[in-house]
Amino acid sequence: MSEQNFNTVPLHTPPLSVSSSSTEQNITGSWKYIQPAYHDRVAPCIAGCPTGVDIEGYMSLLRDGELSAAMELLQCENPMPAITGRVCNHPCESRCNRANYDGAVAIHAVERVLGDMILEEPLPHWTMRKHDERIAVIGSGPAGLACAYHLTRLGYNVEVFEKEEELGGMLRLGIPGYRLPREVLDSQIARYKAMGIIFHTGMRAGTDIGWPRLTTEFSAVFIASGAHVSRLLDLEGDCSRQSLRSGLDFLREVNAGGRPDIGKHALVIGGGNTAMDCARTALRLGAEVTVVYRRTRAEMPAIDEEIEDAAREGVKFEFLASPEKLSGTGGRLQLACTRMELGEPDAQGRRRPVPAGGEPLLLEADTIISAIGEDTGLHDLQAELADAKLAMNTWGCEKLARVFLGGDVAGDERTVASALGAGKRCAIYIDRQLRQQHGEDIPEERLEAIRIGGSESLSMARWTNSDPIMRVSPQNDVVQPADINTAYFPREPRHNDRHAALLKSFEESNTGITTRDALAEAARCYECGVCNECELCRIYCGEAAIQLDPGSGRFVIDLDHCKGCGVCTAECPRGALVMERLANMD
Amino acid sequence: MQKVIVGNHAVSWGVKLARTEVIPAYPITPQTQIVEELSEMCASGELPARFIKVESEHSAMASAVGASAAGARAFTATSSQGLALMHEMLHWAAAARHPIVMADVNRALGPGWNIWTDQTDSLSQRDTGWLQLYCENNQEVLDTTIIAFRLAEALDLPVMLVLDAFYLSHTSEPVDIPDQALVDSFLPKREAHYKLDINEPHAFNALVKPDDYMEMRWHMHDAQRRALELYPQIESEWLALTGRYYGMIEPYRTDDAETVLITTGTVTSTARYVIDERRSRGEKVGLVKIKMFRPFPVEAMRAALKGIPRIAVIDRNISPGNGGIFAQELRSALYGSDSDAAPQFNGYIVGLGGRNVTPDTINGIIDHVQSGETVDRPDIWVGVKA
Repeated sequence: MSEQNFNTVPLHTPPLSVSSSSTEQNITGSWKYIQPAYHDRVAPCIAGCPTGVDIEGYMSLLRDGELSAAMELLQCENPMPAITGRVCNHPCESRCNRANYDGAVAIHAVERVLGDMILEEPLPHWTMRKHDERIAVIGSGPAGLACAYHLTRLGYNVEVFEKEEELGGMLRLGIPGYRLPREVLDSQIARYKAMGIIFHTGMRAGTDIGWPRLTTEFSAVFIASGAHVSRLLDLEGDCSRQSLRSGLDFLREVNAGGRPDIGKHALVIGGGNTAMDCARTALRLGAEVTVVYRRTRAEMPAIDEEIEDAAREGVKFEFLASPEKLSGTGGRLQLACTRMELGEPDAQGRRRPVPAGGEPLLLEADTIISAIGEDTGLHDLQAELADAKLAMNTWGCEKLARVFLGGDVAGDERTVASALGAGKRCAIYIDRQLRQQHGEDIPEERLEAIRIGGSESLSMARWTNSDPIMRVSPQNDVVQPADINTAYFPREPRHNDRHAALLKSFEESNTGITTRDALAEAARCYECGVCNECELCRIYCGEAAIQLDPGSGRFVIDLDHCKGCGVCTAECPRGALVMERLANMD
Repeated sequence: MQKVIVGNHAVSWGVKLARTEVIPAYPITPQTQIVEELSEMCASGELPARFIKVESEHSAMASAVGASAAGARAFTATSSQGLALMHEMLHWAAAARHPIVMADVNRALGPGWNIWTDQTDSLSQRDTGWLQLYCENNQEVLDTTIIAFRLAEALDLPVMLVLDAFYLSHTSEPVDIPDQALVDSFLPKREAHYKLDINEPHAFNALVKPDDYMEMRWHMHDAQRRALELYPQIESEWLALTGRYYGMIEPYRTDDAETVLITTGTVTSTARYVIDERRSRGEKVGLVKIKMFRPFPVEAMRAALKGIPRIAVIDRNISPGNGGIFAQELRSALYGSDSDAAPQFNGYIVGLGGRNVTPDTINGIIDHVQSGETVDRPDIWVGVKA
């Protein structure tokens, strides 16, 4: 028997099980039929923002402590964050992927904190090319200011014409001071003046300055004249101004400093933001206030917080009551309302109120304020423009040669955010058109590429090629809640706005959140859809097929060895990685 | 620097001085203080190691294996049931040749539930391929921790450092803590002979067919045997640096001895006291302390016990159905080594589940073995109540 000598080392066998050749030769990538890719997708807050603010972007910068970069990015898209941080209806928050987890990130409140900081800062040093063209903006509401702001940043000479003596449009006339302090509005407007925007007040386009002059002296005209005509309530009985006040006129009077005597009891008819503003303003004038609305709380178009604030301050609500008849005896007004119930949904999906039968509801008041909506007076304007023999057969931006329309007057959603988005959109359209006149070729696809998440909003950062994350179509899809790996996000309650105890005062009622809370909210942001180099994909990749590219600072995938297991995509906390089907597998 | 510290913290200090890089840990009495102290050292930054909280001892060892596979110096600590839960990974660590160091604080296995000292937990892991070093005092604990890394990394085998629950783990003694520079000169940064490297990727621990498996076990066994030569060399270096030397085994007053006790762990200290007392009365008694259980120092034991007529092995452990484990090992080591004069060889079971082993216990054992009473069984249970 030939025995192995115990002291002879069998050299051909390694001491442990290890492959003799490099496993790099094993191209595991050939196994896969799907593969991961970093897509830089769009966060739902951004897609939901009519202004097109890169919310995820500035939250990420805030989280990294890059405060000035965050402010710069915010200002790139939003001309008035201190204002929207107070009055915006913040659709961003309702779309936030964290909403159904532990509460949406308090984007609105963070924006206010940043907006107030911006007002304390000097103007940024925007490097811009200078153009010779002058552009006229009609109206100094949010749409007009936004268009003027963006065009100025793009290097144009902008002049704003405002028919009122003071600037701000609906921001000043319609929104009460306890929601938007005048000093905030004034310092914001002061910044626009400092930027070089020229303002003409007390000048109504068409009368104080004629359309022919506007269209000849200016290379483009942006009309954002708003919606200032209160809709009339169709009631039986005496509807004279003494009995039935227009909500907008009422707000305009109080916002200008007037303190009318409205008696002890006021009724406010309507369920929108104007109605809430009227109700809370009437409350501050010392009246007991009841809001009368045809439908229910769920159908009210007003911002939720405004309804909550009104209720908290003591405003009462009569739902499912449709005013029919107004009468008055001895200085007291009587409003008879038909009791309603909800029927089939209307075109917008809101359930239509239909008479429920039964006894009418009788309400008494000293003052009745009607706030059922505003009209634009657009017909008058159209007539004026026609008189000026402008070649105008279509309203809208693309087809009209030099006149652009945006904001409330153009039928945009009646919100500040929407008006700001329209102002930006038209600024970009005007820029494109004027540059094309100088021979630049800017194809339609370029506009498509700056559209955010398939919405109407356009990205100014992308338009000016200053987007830190060039998110481009067709990778413009929006991150869904299911794309978030919540295991990486411990539940943390949202930091909510605080309210001053000063009820019935015209001082600002919502005191917002602290800077520290704002930073904590930024840390709550999922940063949906954008890789922030958290490294989990690299750590979990069993093939070590993900590495940081020192050149670009981004992760790259070695597709020769990625076998398509998808663990990177599953572990990615924020949906920045998606699995793509390989073309040859279809 | 002298510090008065418990045995558990002596381990922690050794691990810190060894510049351990990864510490996966799961708490268990009486070990917890070791990793607790280490977690604080990591948290304060004085030990720049990755401390990994895991969900079980199995995962603790699996994580140590992972860290070691990546080339890191890894440490963990456990006791009793925790060690038993690691069993599968203990085989893995050894056969994958990971030089992991682990402290096992000897604790009895349940049931009956018991947290006190007993060597059965570590001895049950005899055949996993780990080296095992048993300590007698806190200074030895600290020194052995550092020596263990050096030994493990030279052999590519894991080392288990063993200390008695409470008698060492929770008892304070003055301990000399060597300078970091001294330890650095003795124990340089680990240079892994095999490691995961994304720039030079290899597959590890895949299927091995009968053609090669046996050779790999031969390698493991050979590395264990090499420890018998290497350990004294490494300890000599430590001696030169610190003046301290323990040896794989330590004969104590065995010259001309006619009765020799075989001891491990803290029982040794008690036995030294008894030996000194009986020597002062002129009795020819001595002891041999076993520090290294795996590899078993067969030749050294044979040499130390040559010509001794009476041997009494004190086992704080039990292999049910046979007897004390050190007694079995030693009997088999001595078999046939001195066929002309086979000694009287008695195995005594003491102190299971932490029962105190006092000078009286040891005097009783010496009296018994000296009486020459023949016992027809391999195990004599000391102090078992009727």
